[in-house]
Amino acid sequence: MIRVELSKLLRSRRTWVTIGLVDALPTLVAVLLALTDLGPRPGTGPAFLSAVMTDGTLFPLAALAIVLPLFLPLVVAITAGEAIAGEAQQGTLRYLLVRPVGRARLLLAKLVSVMAFVALTVVVVGATAYVVGALLLGDEQLTTGATSVSGTSLTTPELVARTLLALAYAMLSMLGVAAIALFLSTVVRSPLAAALGTMGILISSTLLLTLDAADSFRAFLPTRYWLAFVDLFRDPIFWRDLERGVLLQAAYVVVFLAAAWANFATKDITD
Amino acid sequence: MTSVRRWCVVALVTVVVVGSPVLLRALPAGDSDLTAPELLALVSESGDRSFSGYVETAGALQIPSADRFDGVGALLGERNRLRVWWRDREAWRVAVMRTAGEVDLVHTAGLTTEYDYEDAEATTTRDPDIRLPRSADLLPPEVARRLLTGVTGADVTRLPARRVAGIAAPGLRLEGARERSSIGRVDLWADPESGLPLRVEVSARGSSAPDFSTGFVEITVATPAAADVEPRLTADVERSFDEVLDIADAVNQYAPIQAPDRAGGLARTSAARGAVGVYGDGLTQVIAIPLRDREADPLREQVRATPGAERVPGGDSVAIGPLGVFLGGDDGEGGWLVAGTVTGPVLVRAGQDLLRDAVFVGER
Amino acid sequence: MIRTSGLTKRFGSITAVDHVDLDVREGDVYGFLGANGSGKTTTVRMLLGLVLATRGTAELLGRPMPAAAREVLPFVGSLVEGPAAYPQLSGRANLALFDRMGTGGVRATRSTRVGDALDRVGLGGVDGRPVRAYSLGMRQRLGLASALLRAPRLLVLDEPTNGLDPQGIRDIRALLLELNRAGTTVFVSSHLLAEIEQMCTRVGVLHRGRLVLQEQLADLQRPTGRVLLGTPDAERAIALLDGHVEHRDGDRLVVRAADAAELAVRLVGAGVRVAELRPERHTLESVVLEATGAGSDDFSATAAPTGPDRGGRG
Repeated sequence: MIRVELSKLLRSRRTWVTIGLVDALPTLVAVLLALTDLGPRPGTGPAFLSAVMTDGTLFPLAALAIVLPLFLPLVVAITAGEAIAGEAQQGTLRYLLVRPVGRARLLLAKLVSVMAFVALTVVVVGATAYVVGALLLGDEQLTTGATSVSGTSLTTPELVARTLLALAYAMLSMLGVAAIALFLSTVVRSPLAAALGTMGILISSTLLLTLDAADSFRAFLPTRYWLAFVDLFRDPIFWRDLERGVLLQAAYVVVFLAAAWANFATKDITD
Repeated sequence: MTSVRRWCVVALVTVVVVGSPVLLRALPAGDSDLTAPELLALVSESGDRSFSGYVETAGALQIPSADRFDGVGALLGERNRLRVWWRDREAWRVAVMRTAGEVDLVHTAGLTTEYDYEDAEATTTRDPDIRLPRSADLLPPEVARRLLTGVTGADVTRLPARRVAGIAAPGLRLEGARERSSIGRVDLWADPESGLPLRVEVSARGSSAPDFSTGFVEITVATPAAADVEPRLTADVERSFDEVLDIADAVNQYAPIQAPDRAGGLARTSAARGAVGVYGDGLTQVIAIPLRDREADPLREQVRATPGAERVPGGDSVAIGPLGVFLGGDDGEGGWLVAGTVTGPVLVRAGQDLLRDAVFVGER
Repeated sequence: MIRTSGLTKRFGSITAVDHVDLDVREGDVYGFLGANGSGKTTTVRMLLGLVLATRGTAELLGRPMPAAAREVLPFVGSLVEGPAAYPQLSGRANLALFDRMGTGGVRATRSTRVGDALDRVGLGGVDGRPVRAYSLGMRQRLGLASALLRAPRLLVLDEPTNGLDPQGIRDIRALLLELNRAGTTVFVSSHLLAEIEQMCTRVGVLHRGRLVLQEQLADLQRPTGRVLLGTPDAERAIALLDGHVEHRDGDRLVVRAADAAELAVRLVGAGVRVAELRPERHTLESVVLEATGAGSDDFSATAAPTGPDRGGRG
């Protein structure tokens, strides 16, 4: 079933249109930077954007920082929200289930397919950003390396390794979103409602994070460690939040996938 | 499996997932049989210990801020996440981590280099006699050392052990020791092996919850590599050397004033005979800085806007948790800024003493 | 092949299906007749494990549902409340996708199987256009093709002729009868009397969630014990059959007589000219109306295309 879902994903035109749209913003930013040569003052724009002006090969990182906070969660919420509710609305869910496809297996396949979509998006965004950055913004500094957040210098292999880790971490951070959206997708009838519900949860989480009164459960909020990928660029790498981020996402997957299964396993399919 | 049973499984999974970290944290810490004086002695002797780790501080002290004092406001009024590598007092690095940046302090050979990622600037200064608090002062061992000056075994009681940074740390309580202090209580937990203070909580008089706390979340009691405490900035960073560190240092060096020997009944403890005076020690300590009108006026506006501020003879006074702030004089006049952990009356008296006893020494 | 006992489904306070005891035997073409909203679709969904029964049990191919869904469903082809497919894919791609799902068909023969299924429903020559561009009838045929993909032993079809033109309906009927002859048991639900009457060997009638009738069609259509007689000599016939004529309408008489052949001999022997003579039989319509009682005029004997609760969502 996982392979079927993946092939559906790859053959759907919407997949590619969505990735194209997500990719458009960082590309636009790169073009604007190249045309105007007006980089933001260090520390003011999105993370790493100021460094990009001198080294275009850093642009994948800046592109990630642009895409991660809003676009990627939005896209994941929509895609995962569609998983069950969308099939139900289309009428194909009942035909899947009478093939028969096991309900738990279907949920798992959907989660894998959503994560594959995230990976695909991140890889496409990273790759285009690298090409666009190197072409438009130049790669003079490729040999001397870049500056870490702690002010020390990073060699190119270090930078590449850390960037790849950051990309992987960004993908992992989307697991929780996907699991929540998948659960909501088994609860509500409309895929849009599932996506909006997920976005609502994420927005609440972001808001609560800024509130001292929410201190006691701050560590359990899904967006708590999203920006921890910055810690990869400190010297030495600060692993604590990254580790906790991974554990938290795993916890969200376990709990919400279990909830999705509990709700879906004997749900009456009446669409 | 019925729907009810499945939801029970989900509930169980949730409880395990959420509960296990909570439970781990709540595990009772095995206590040590050190007495209060023994523990105090151990802590006092820990001054030359090396360590590295990760510290979180939480302060609810919303102190009036104006331009030159912003850094202090952030240190005492916000949450800070610090990474520290500490070989000894002369060689250390403390990094304040921000969401998308970092401010590093590297201290070596009597010089301190501050690197700010967001400004891509590094500034090196010598260590002045008198300065405002900086991030390294928030480390639990530093806070403890400062507050425990002059404290004896008779002043402290034992608190049950508590798990701090994975260590079962026996606690000490210092309470009501100094009548002129605005600090009601200092709670401290220390590593029973090295004596290093791991967590310090400071509460104002009459305050039930700590107004300021600092604690290790991770600690390694071992000497960090020399490379960890060296400035290794890349060539791109803009560097500069500054003669003055902050406003306290600047005023102390250049203001044509000499602070008196006593203020508010406290003896002067700062060594150099500059314009800035530090009086008292331990729990009862104030710093007095003479300000020109262009620095004093915006600050005075801030002080007056702070909740609880009151006009007192000779100036404005406000208490923010255990921290008292007094600004003498009136608009356009300049005046003495007196801040410290003393009670309101002592603070006001100190302000008046300063106004009366400070000596104008002419251009320096 | 299908056996339910006391099958009941409640949605909140509404009882959609109430103690239904279906009995479909191997080789049947079973007509499951009921008005829109009578609970047919809910029953079909329960048989396939999509909706869980509130009470009662269902067996498919002798195995309990939904417990044995994994073993049973690969041998069942179904069409539930209208066809559905991925609109952006072609019909062929849709079938290939469905074929891969679940236990999955053998890959090497997949395209042959898909081609065969399309041929059978008359979509063999269809181009690569996406299902989005299909007509309602084409979608219905595609849904049937999907049900036929794995040469099922049992077909459970909910309103299979929905949206088809008369030619299409005839094609599908022929196809189903052909499959039945080849050994497939067919379970067809419909709200159309005529459709069931033309195709089925066995009939179950669902009325407001209850199974009010379940019999072989042949048994239902047994003689009534009356003979319909058409004769230009009506007066003489009445005189001859004194007391046995129940009704007269011009040249046409309704005569109570157990044996039509004997009646014919008698009439002809008496010199009465017989233009037409046949035994009267019960019709499905009359039986159903009788079983469902008064007020059940919502059965339509004509081939009205769609009801309000179906067809719109495909």
